[in-house]
Order: sequence, then structure tokens, then C-alpha cells
Amino acid sequence: MSLAFLVPLFLLGIAGIAIPVVVHLTRRQRRNVVEFPSLMFLSKVPFQEQRRRRIQHWLLLSLRALALLLLAVAFARPFLDRSDLVLGGAGGPRELVVLIDQSYSMGAGDQWTEARRAAAGAFDDLGPLDRASLVTFAQGARVIARSTSDRTRLRAALDTVDVGSGTTRYGPALKAAQTILEESDLPSGEVVLVSDFQRNGWSGDEGVRLPPGAVLTPVSVAGDVPENIQITGLGLARQSVSGRERVTPTVRLARVGGDEPREVPVTLELDGQEIQTRVAVLEPDGATALVFQPFTLSQPHTRGTVRVPADDLSPDDVRHFVLSPGSTISVLVVEGSRAPTDASFYLRRALEISEEGRFSVRVRRGDGVTPQDLENADVVVLNDVRVDGASAERLGAFARGGGGVLLVLGERSSWPESAADVAPGAVGPVDDRAEGQGGRLGFLEYGHPVFEPFAGPRSGDFTGARFFRARDLTLSDSARVMARFDDGSVALAETRTGRGTIMVWTSTMDAQWNDLALQPVYLPFVHRLAEYLSGRVEVQPWFTAGQIVDLADPDALEAAGLVSAEAAGLDNESDRMALSPSGAALPLPAGDGPSYLPLEEQGFYTVRLAGSDPDRPFVIAVNVDLSESTRTGIDPEELVAQITAPGTDPTTGPDFAEGSDLRREDQERRQSLWRLILAAAFALLVLETVLSNWVSRRRSGTPGMVTG
Amino acid sequence: MTSYARARSSSAGAQFLDPAVLARIDNLELLARTVVDGFLTGLHRSPYLGFSLDFAEHRPYMPGDDVRRIDWRLFARTDRHYIKLFEAETNANFAILLDISRSMSFGSHSVVKLDYARYLSAALAFFSNRQRDRVGLITFDQKVVDFVPPSMKHMDTVLHVLDQLSAGRPGSLHQPLLQITERLTRKGVVVLISDFYEEPDQILESVGLLSARGHDVIVFHVLDPAELEFPFEDASGFQDMESGEQVPVIPERLRGEYLALIRGHVSELEQRFSARRIDYKLLDTSQPLDLALFQYLSFRERMTRVR
Repeated sequence: MSLAFLVPLFLLGIAGIAIPVVVHLTRRQRRNVVEFPSLMFLSKVPFQEQRRRRIQHWLLLSLRALALLLLAVAFARPFLDRSDLVLGGAGGPRELVVLIDQSYSMGAGDQWTEARRAAAGAFDDLGPLDRASLVTFAQGARVIARSTSDRTRLRAALDTVDVGSGTTRYGPALKAAQTILEESDLPSGEVVLVSDFQRNGWSGDEGVRLPPGAVLTPVSVAGDVPENIQITGLGLARQSVSGRERVTPTVRLARVGGDEPREVPVTLELDGQEIQTRVAVLEPDGATALVFQPFTLSQPHTRGTVRVPADDLSPDDVRHFVLSPGSTISVLVVEGSRAPTDASFYLRRALEISEEGRFSVRVRRGDGVTPQDLENADVVVLNDVRVDGASAERLGAFARGGGGVLLVLGERSSWPESAADVAPGAVGPVDDRAEGQGGRLGFLEYGHPVFEPFAGPRSGDFTGARFFRARDLTLSDSARVMARFDDGSVALAETRTGRGTIMVWTSTMDAQWNDLALQPVYLPFVHRLAEYLSGRVEVQPWFTAGQIVDLADPDALEAAGLVSAEAAGLDNESDRMALSPSGAALPLPAGDGPSYLPLEEQGFYTVRLAGSDPDRPFVIAVNVDLSESTRTGIDPEELVAQITAPGTDPTTGPDFAEGSDLRREDQERRQSLWRLILAAAFALLVLETVLSNWVSRRRSGTPGMVTG
Repeated sequence: MTSYARARSSSAGAQFLDPAVLARIDNLELLARTVVDGFLTGLHRSPYLGFSLDFAEHRPYMPGDDVRRIDWRLFARTDRHYIKLFEAETNANFAILLDISRSMSFGSHSVVKLDYARYLSAALAFFSNRQRDRVGLITFDQKVVDFVPPSMKHMDTVLHVLDQLSAGRPGSLHQPLLQITERLTRKGVVVLISDFYEEPDQILESVGLLSARGHDVIVFHVLDPAELEFPFEDASGFQDMESGEQVPVIPERLRGEYLALIRGHVSELEQRFSARRIDYKLLDTSQPLDLALFQYLSFRERMTRVR
């Protein structure tokens, strides 16, 4: 370590010290001339020549000279050159970014221990001028410690990290490393990627490219692929029996590896109590399904868990879910008294086909709707019904209260003029397109929730359906068209009234006027229609680790399975608290903005008001993404080749020579000694000013000579 | 104790007039009168001892003596002729030799050396005039500037010349004193007032001309306190007032050696003048004039006894 200067030319300014010396020797002499009667005695004093140049105010001279010296040194930008202390020395100061895979697959075997040891080793190898960052990643990346040379801090940060429940995604982590390296002013960069290198974590088109000169050092901790049994799926079929919901869990199991068939006990727990245990026999690399006995679902937010004995990779050995009764959508189908006998056959069957008993269907014939019909109904489908005025009024009120009404227009359908403002439009005559191939759906509003699932490619083709007859619909001002035929006439329209919706489907729902009921899209289309009209959101029994729930969004809460905010003791006006599966408290302050709850751990998140303890709190189940259990690896070198600049070699590359200069500048900039020196110089100048003023005042007090 | 030390230690005495106060008196005669009268008032005995015609001794009459001085009473008792000799000469010549070289214009306070010398000269002239002496004044620098020959009637002229004189040119002692010696043919009392910035040998040689001529010489060495104490602090260029030469000086470094030199100079002058029976007195211009008057008075007293 030695003192060096970035701009040594400024040291020539030290010669300026001669200025105050000369001034001290000459200026005062010229300024003060004392007339004396005779120099007879003064000239006799020996060594006069030396003494005449003696400096009187040594302190002032020293201050001035030192200030000039400091100014010159400050401008020369001094720094302590510690290049010789750099370990290795070849690449100069490094910006090291350690990316450590935190996904749950790292918990297998001693992978996590190896990973931490590798990260600690990377930190131990830091040179005095190196800086390091610690980034953990799964689906996302989190910078735990950023660009610091404090090894203690890095070690402490590393100690806080543990395996999570996430899924490996290299993209965000490498992107974070790229950002750190790009923002670094050190001449060389290195990324140490510690992972088990699963193939599904890298898609290849992440758009990550490390800066030139940066090196990616993969550290694979992947061990041998052990035998793994995982719960690959869980079905929760519901049935309504005697007004009570019964749930039949179906578990799908898979086994990776193994040599012989193996019996695996599978346990079902409800609210922490073991309910059933079944034994499944799994062949090597085989799969099987296991059906539990149905259980009655009576309490809201019932927590359920299906688990198999923990193996080397335990997160996929358990599956959590949360269920609440009352999630079935009640659909009342009213057939017109003069409608064909099987007018609702396809509709009813479509609604009844639901694995989880999503819909409860009632069919009644008649042209009117009674108040009793509307009780306990979420959706009312009027299939070719001639609606009278009273029924229209009731349906209007039903819709305003949050219900959904679907008018399926047939030969005899009509809507009274007295309630025209409620319907999306006025029903017109039959448009017969029986000639030729018939009409087809030419326009679908894919942005609408009903058609949104069909927006993607191969997500359902409505163009295959042919429409031979349909009723004309003159739209009201408040109506919104969701689908049109290829001739432009309205196929599906809606109008919002109150909290509910009234829709009109201008053709039949059977195979009389069209063959849509024979198309594959019919069933999901009907389901989406019914769900949309009911206003219900599909409840997810569980979420996947890494997802985020906005607890300020009622729809999100409903999708998360919240039955009743009041019953769960939640309201939007008070601060809420979430308890993670590990017991960590996550405050969720009340406010107008979103209230995000990141679901990062596998298990149950309990949400309640701060300080409250309701009987059935709102619970969210979180399971791991099973793709992480797929242990297919990626060649680390393939990853390196894709994100590093070709031909990059930090020790021989063209950036290295430039890096040497950069090191000096970087050292100087980091030390910034010139600021301190400049401040000291100004302080000295201030002191010199005060002192010289004091000396001047003192000198002016000396009596002058009088000559006659 | 040296003369310098005595001069410094005799500064006490409230009855003495401060030179700074005298400087406010424009009229030199009034100034001289004030000084002399005040000085005389403070004495407890008459200063006019030398003026009385006191008998000193008898000697045998020699042919050529004035017969009027024969003591006839003694002749009656002894039948021999004796002549009566009296103690003091009255109507002595009193000449003031005043150095008006440029160095005399130096002063570190309100009274420069020349002013001090002027007041001293006026006081001495006034005092001597009262003793019926013939008073004269000669000013000189490197040559004689004003020459007022001693006379009973020249008191006013002396005061006028003192009032008008000013310092200008560099000075020296030898040449003007040589001229003065040649011009003062009648022996008398000569008071030399100067700052004596010459080597003691030269000074003694020059002043010796006067004493060798038979004059009774009194030397007043006038120096400013700044010359005696060298109170300067700042490093400065010191310029010789007569030659114009300039020397950079750091007073704090030089003071000790300077004081040693000036004191040695004064001490040597004192010793060597004393050896030649020449009265020498160092005068500090910050001290009252009375010191000089005492010196002169003691000299006159001693002189009358010698006669």
C-alpha cells in the first residue's frame, strides 16, 4: 500500500510554497522603512546578511505554506494505492454477485448445506477491494446484501437465508445480477450461481446478458436424483346430499425412481385432525390415484391436508386446501310451457357436468317466475319463455339484488314492454337462415369474462357452430354486445342492473336452431355464462407458492375462499394481520390502496384483524409448484454460454488494461481523500486569515517614529 | 552606575518640567526663563557662587603687576608687597556648540533631539547670561552653519538663532570643531551638544581641539529613548537619516547586540572624556532639562574652585 496520485502534475503547485516564503522575506521589508539616526551600530552587528532574511512569523508562514501544499495535493487527487493487496491480482477489484437458489428442491439431500458453503467460500475469497452482493432467488430474486466489502455482513446475510417453497427461475436472479454489475464501477464482475440447475428454471429467452467482462461461475450442488414420491394432484369433488355438501377427495400420486412396488400410506387431515388414511401401491416410476371417502363440509374455511410420508423432497409430499360450504351455484332453468320437451336438455346436462359440483340445477316448466322460484337461486335461465309483466318485475328485482338472468330466445320467447328498460333490448322476429350453411358467430368480445378463457389459441373454437335461426334484438342504450353473428346481428348481449346482470342469447341452447350444443366449447361456455351471471368467482382451494393475493380486492378474497368477511372477523377499515405458516406475523395496514399478501411459504396463511381471534378465521392454503420436483437438470455451461458475452475472458480480454486505470480512479473515488485535504486547506486558510488580522492589529498598535 | 543608568534613574521628580510640556512654549526666552527660574527656585543655596569677588590667596608682587591689586593693609603689617587674587573670573565667554546634523532631527516622541538640544541651549544661555557671561552660539553639521560670537549683547541673537535653526545635512565633528576652535580665540566655557554618531577616537580628537585651546568643555550627549532602548519589534528596513543607507533589521534579534554597542559607546565616551577632564553628560530627551542644568552648575562650581 502506498500513496499515489491520480493527477500528479498538480504537485507542481507545491512550488507555490515559495510564494509565501518570498513574501515573508521581502514584502514586509519593502513596506516598513524606519528612519534611524545612524546605522553606525546596527551595521556593526555580525551575521547581518543571514538575519535580514530571517522569517518573523513562522506560524503564519507555516499555515500559508501548508495550505498551499494541501491544495496542490488535493488537486493531485491522492489515494492509497492498495492494488498490491488485491488477492489474485489478475482481475483487479471484482464486483461479485452470489446467486443462491432458494427453491424447495434445494432442500433435497445436503444440497442446501453445500450451497451455503459454496456461497461462504465465494465471500471468503473476496479481496480487500472486492465487493459482493448476495441474491436469493426462486420465482423472483431478492437482493439480501448489495455491493459491500463487509464480509461479516455478507456472512450474516447468508445465515438468514433458508430454503423456501418457491420454484426455480433463473431469469430474475440473473437480471438482478446484470443490474448490479452494470451499476458497479469496479472493473471486473463475476456472478457465482449456486443452484441444482433444474431445466424448468430456464426458458432461454429471459433477455439476460451480463456486461462484457463479467464472468458467470456456475456452482452445481445437484446430487443424485433420489427416489421421490409426490402428490401430483388433488381433486375435491362436491356433491349436494340432503342439502349438505359432501366432498370426495381424489389424490393422484406419482413415484420417481425406485426398484420395487411400494405401499404408501396417504393421510387426509381436516382442520388438523387426521380423518382417513389410505394405502396406495406405487410401482417404480409409476403413478396412481386414490379416492378417499367423502366427508361432509359444514364449516367455512375448513383446512385440509393430504400427505404422504416425507421423503428426501418433502414439500411435494403434502397438499393443502381450504374449503367452505356454499360455493355451489344454484341455477334455475325455466322452460316455457310451450317450449319443446327437451329444450333444456343440453343446458341442464352441461351444468350438471362438474367435477366439484359447481352447479346445482333445477328445471321447471312454466311461463311465469314466482318468488319461490327465485329463492336460493343464483342464476335464472328463461329458456323460450313468454315472460309476463309480473315475472319481469320480479326478475328485474332479482337482478338488481345481485342475481343473474339469462333469456334464451326461442320461437315463443317474449319480454313485456313494461319492463323493456330492464332487458338488453327488444325482442324481434325470428331471423331464419336455414338456407345454405347457416350463420356463424363472427364476433366475440374476448375481453369479456365469459369469453376470456377462449381468447388464447386452441382454447375453444366458436366458429364451428352453425346458427340457422335466431331472434332479432333491438339493443337498448344500456346494452352491451358480447357476440355477434357473421351478419352483424346480435348473438349475446347484456345489461347491468343493480348488482346483477341480465343477458340475452338470441338463439336456443339446444340443437334446434343451432348446433352449438354439439360443439366442444358448449360446456365451458355454459359454465362461464352461469358463473358470470351468478357473480361468483371461482374459489381456489389453494394457491401456489409465489403468488400474491390482494386482500383489498373483494373478488380476490372471494377467489381465495373468503365466505363472509363478517364471519371471518375482517373488515376493510381496520388493520389486518396475516400469520405465515412459519408463524411470522405480516401486518396488513388498512388503507385505500391494495393490500398485498405474498404467499411464499407452503402451508396455511391465516388472515384476521389485528388482536382478534375468530373461531373460523380466513385461511389461505399454499402449495408448492410441482414443476420444481422435476429434477431434470440443465448443463450449467449451456446457461453460461447463453448469458455471457462470447469470448469474454477477464484476465486476457481487452477490458483488462483499461481496468487497471479504472482501478486507480476507482480507488481514488472511493477514498476521496481530496475532500478531506481540501477541507483542511480551507480551514488552515481561515485560521491564517484570523491570525494575520490579529497580527496586523497588534502591529498597528506599535508607536511610529517621529522625525523633525 | 554609568551616566546612562543615572540619566534613566533620575527621571523621578515631579517638579521638573517635562520636555513635552516645554515644547508647547513657542518663546524660547520664556522657555529658558521658566526652566532656569524653576530650577533655581528648587535650590537651597545660591547658584551665583562664582560671581562673588571672594579672596582666594596672596602672592608676592611681581614687576608688571597692576599696582591696584596690591594689598595695602598687608603691606602695612608686613612691609612687603602682596597681590590679592580673587576666586572667579566674571564676564567669562560662554559658547554653545550645537550639532544640527540631520540625525538630530530624530525623535520617537513629541520632542526630537534637536528640539531638546534647542531648549537646553536656551536654558544654558539664559542661565549664563544671568551670570554676566558673554553668551555665544555656534551651530554646525558638517561645517559651521551659524556663528554668534560670545557677547553680553548677543543673548537675543542666540535665542533667535535657536528659534530658527533646523536640521538638514549630514554632520561630522572634526571639521566644524576645527573651524570653531580657530574662531574662538578667547578662552571660555564651551558647551558641546551632539548625538555623537562617530567613533570615540574621532570624537575625542575633535573635542580635544577645544580643550587643547584652553576652553573649558562640557559635553552633552543627547539621545532619544528609542536610540537607547531600541523598542522596535517588526522586521523593517532601517534607513540611515544622514546617508540614506538602508539595512533590513529584525529588532528582536538585533536588540541585544545593539544595546550592548550603544552602551559601550556611551561608556567609552564617558571614560575617555573624564580622562581628559572634560565633563560629559548623557541626556535622554524624555528626561527633564534640569539634569543638564545640574551638570552645568556643578561644573561651574568646580571650575571656580580650580581658579
